[in-house]
Amino acid sequence: MNEKEFERLLLSVQKPGRYSGGEINSVIKDKSKVDVRFAFCFPDTYEIGMSHLGMKILYSQFNSRDDIWCERVFAPWTDFEEKMRENNIPLFALESRDSIKEFDFIGFTLQYEMCYTNVLNMLDLAGLPLKALDRDEKYPLVVAGGPCVCNAEPLADFIDIFFLGEGEEVDLEVIDLYKEHKKKGFSKVEFLKAAAKIEGVYVPSLYEVEYLEDGKIKSVTPKGNAPKTIKKRIIGDMDTAFYPDKFVVPFIQIVHDRAVQEVFRGCIRGCRFCQAGFIYRPVREKSYEVVNSQAKCLCENTGYDEISLSSLSTSDYRELEPLLNNMLEWTQENHISLALPSLRIDNFSEELLEKIAHVRKSGLTFAPEAGTQRLRDVINKNVTEEEILSTCKTAFEGGYTSVKLYFMMGLPTETDEDLKGIAELGQKIVDMYYSLPNKPKGKSVSVSMSVAVFVPKPFTPFQFEPQITKEEMERKQNYLKSCITTRKIDLSMHDSSTSFLEAVFAKGDRRLGAVLESAYKKGCKFDSWTECFQIEKWNEAFSECGIDPDFYSLRTRDYDEINPWDHLDYAVSKEFLIRENKLAHADTTTPNCREKCSACGANCYGEGVCFERR
Amino acid sequence: MRDVRVFYRKKGAMKFVSHLDMNRFMTRLINKAKIPIWFTEGFNQHAYFNFAVPLSLGFEGQYEVLDLRIITPDYSNEQLVLDLNKASIPDIEFLDAKEPILKMKEIVFAEFKVIFDELNVELAEKINGFFAREQIITQKTTKKGGTKDIDIAPLIKKWVLKENELTLILTAGNENNLNPNLVLSTFFESEKIAPVDYSVIRTMIYDKNLNPFK
Ligand code: SF4
Repeated sequence: MNEKEFERLLLSVQKPGRYSGGEINSVIKDKSKVDVRFAFCFPDTYEIGMSHLGMKILYSQFNSRDDIWCERVFAPWTDFEEKMRENNIPLFALESRDSIKEFDFIGFTLQYEMCYTNVLNMLDLAGLPLKALDRDEKYPLVVAGGPCVCNAEPLADFIDIFFLGEGEEVDLEVIDLYKEHKKKGFSKVEFLKAAAKIEGVYVPSLYEVEYLEDGKIKSVTPKGNAPKTIKKRIIGDMDTAFYPDKFVVPFIQIVHDRAVQEVFRGCIRGCRFCQAGFIYRPVREKSYEVVNSQAKCLCENTGYDEISLSSLSTSDYRELEPLLNNMLEWTQENHISLALPSLRIDNFSEELLEKIAHVRKSGLTFAPEAGTQRLRDVINKNVTEEEILSTCKTAFEGGYTSVKLYFMMGLPTETDEDLKGIAELGQKIVDMYYSLPNKPKGKSVSVSMSVAVFVPKPFTPFQFEPQITKEEMERKQNYLKSCITTRKIDLSMHDSSTSFLEAVFAKGDRRLGAVLESAYKKGCKFDSWTECFQIEKWNEAFSECGIDPDFYSLRTRDYDEINPWDHLDYAVSKEFLIRENKLAHADTTTPNCREKCSACGANCYGEGVCFERR
Repeated sequence: MRDVRVFYRKKGAMKFVSHLDMNRFMTRLINKAKIPIWFTEGFNQHAYFNFAVPLSLGFEGQYEVLDLRIITPDYSNEQLVLDLNKASIPDIEFLDAKEPILKMKEIVFAEFKVIFDELNVELAEKINGFFAREQIITQKTTKKGGTKDIDIAPLIKKWVLKENELTLILTAGNENNLNPNLVLSTFFESEKIAPVDYSVIRTMIYDKNLNPFK
């Protein structure tokens, strides 16, 4: 397709900037001078994918090597997909506009389960057979990384290689191995066998899964010399780890349209529902000097006038005060706004507080997740009612009139009492506002509460727990609604069909591959977009494949059951998860990593918080 | 503090960047190039710059105009162009920077080149006939959501068809801006022919005397 025809096509769809390429800092290389072409695919829209930090890191890192050209690919929105299929345009990379079928690697990042149909759709648009087994040496290798890889069994049939954990090192080791194998005449089978020996590389086709009569897993057996368990990789020293000095700056507005500076990986907290809090262990910080200089460099090279700090819980950063002091100096001078997350500022100096006061504040948000202290203890969420009320009080006195709170419904051990607690907490905030003598004049308060359905995830202490049924959820939602008596509280409860499917795929096994393929063939894609999600098609797919989704999501799993992800080693041991699960059922909290080590297993790397001096 | 008028070309991928997105693009480009630009004061401080008449999505622009306010007196126009180009991408190319002579609102006309992929004799005759009309009526949606008939002939200052290239000088600016796409779609509709493919380049903007806008 020539340039002119392509341009006409772009003008006929929404947001042509999604497909045009050519942005500031996008990397163009001479394809005849590189050895490896890598198509980095984000299985969602441009706006979402371009906001993702992991993709930016790997894009820059791969391209920092002269022998690799890494390009970006996003899922085309339905209007453009239609045009592509009509005009026989295969899925192309934004930089070169070449069909990715010509590339050496097609790599997906799997950030959420509901993107799986997009992975299949993108493979199909690229002109590749969906199944790994049907792709010989003619086709690119299809690899995947990201948090969902901790149980990517539902995608096992389609992906050649999964990367466990952080990709900076392992991805390049595999690319180097590929170059070696290419030199001596490439055999896919031989290559995969060799790659499986690299730590962090999981080749699903090298594992045989057998099932018991009741449908549970009997065994997972490696073939040949493949390792029995595959261990995730981490980057030990964050100060010397690669970090991009520039981001591709999009033309169109994306979800997080700003510079993003990473401050640490992992989280000390151990909230029991939170997968990220476990699979990214242990916490590894960057020093504030490095964070500061990387952040400055990013702003200079992108021209962004907004920067945010990224981590799972920035207020736990030990060097926050010196960092902010340093960053505020140059950000204010250069009219750059520093987006601060809601921080605990009790022990900051007067001077810093004064400076922060001038920074544009984001909205007031809390994530208590549960309505009563008992249930917050069960989930190990370290937020108390007093903290929320006192922070709200200060904020209201400072002129704020609205607050947003996030909760979950269907948590293990939850009773109606806990749901009532959600409504009561909202009411207390409202009452407190009206009791303030110095509240903002003439304005009423608005408390918005968002309640999502809990999805149990692998590698969390709640991996053994069932999700609630649809009927139970409806009953709980109605009950919660009935508990709210004031119009000052705005309660929003998400449509939950996607949460149910998410739970199935999060804890699913390889047999779901067939369901995925069938749903995809029926037209399912962009399942996380309400306007695209088609639950009837999914239901049809399950019943045609003879698979009961409830088997995966609604069942309490015994501690000794073999889970589909048990051969993957994310450093947190199953014994630890079991211990934590028992503590949850005893309403008992666990101290964070800096208060007391709970021997989760993540100290095996000899890095990070486990070895901090306390 | 002084005002500078910058001239640039917009092409390639940048053709798909809407006027709204251009604002964000320029803000970042100016930051990246470290231009000593003046920031507005007050609560929402932002770099001070102004675009001349917006360019429609999909059009190339060869004489695009942007006014900046510079705070460093000894920062030369040559340096400004150099710095902007160094920070920019090939699809936005800065050509020149000068002291503004006219005001933005003195822009009255714009010149476009409409390049047809293919143009046969029959179609060429129809085009000539169309522009020779005394009245060219088209429908415009009103603010209230209805439509009303307007005559665009008086807004067409000049037209020349040479081979497959149609040069149009149309009224531009805030009040009576005429978009060549509207002219073309009116043509196809009134002649009841299926639209043919074409590309558009805005080649110049003029003042009321058809002198290039400076
Ligand atoms: S080993 Fe201890 S300190 Fe290290 S991550 Fe696990 S619980 Fe935290």
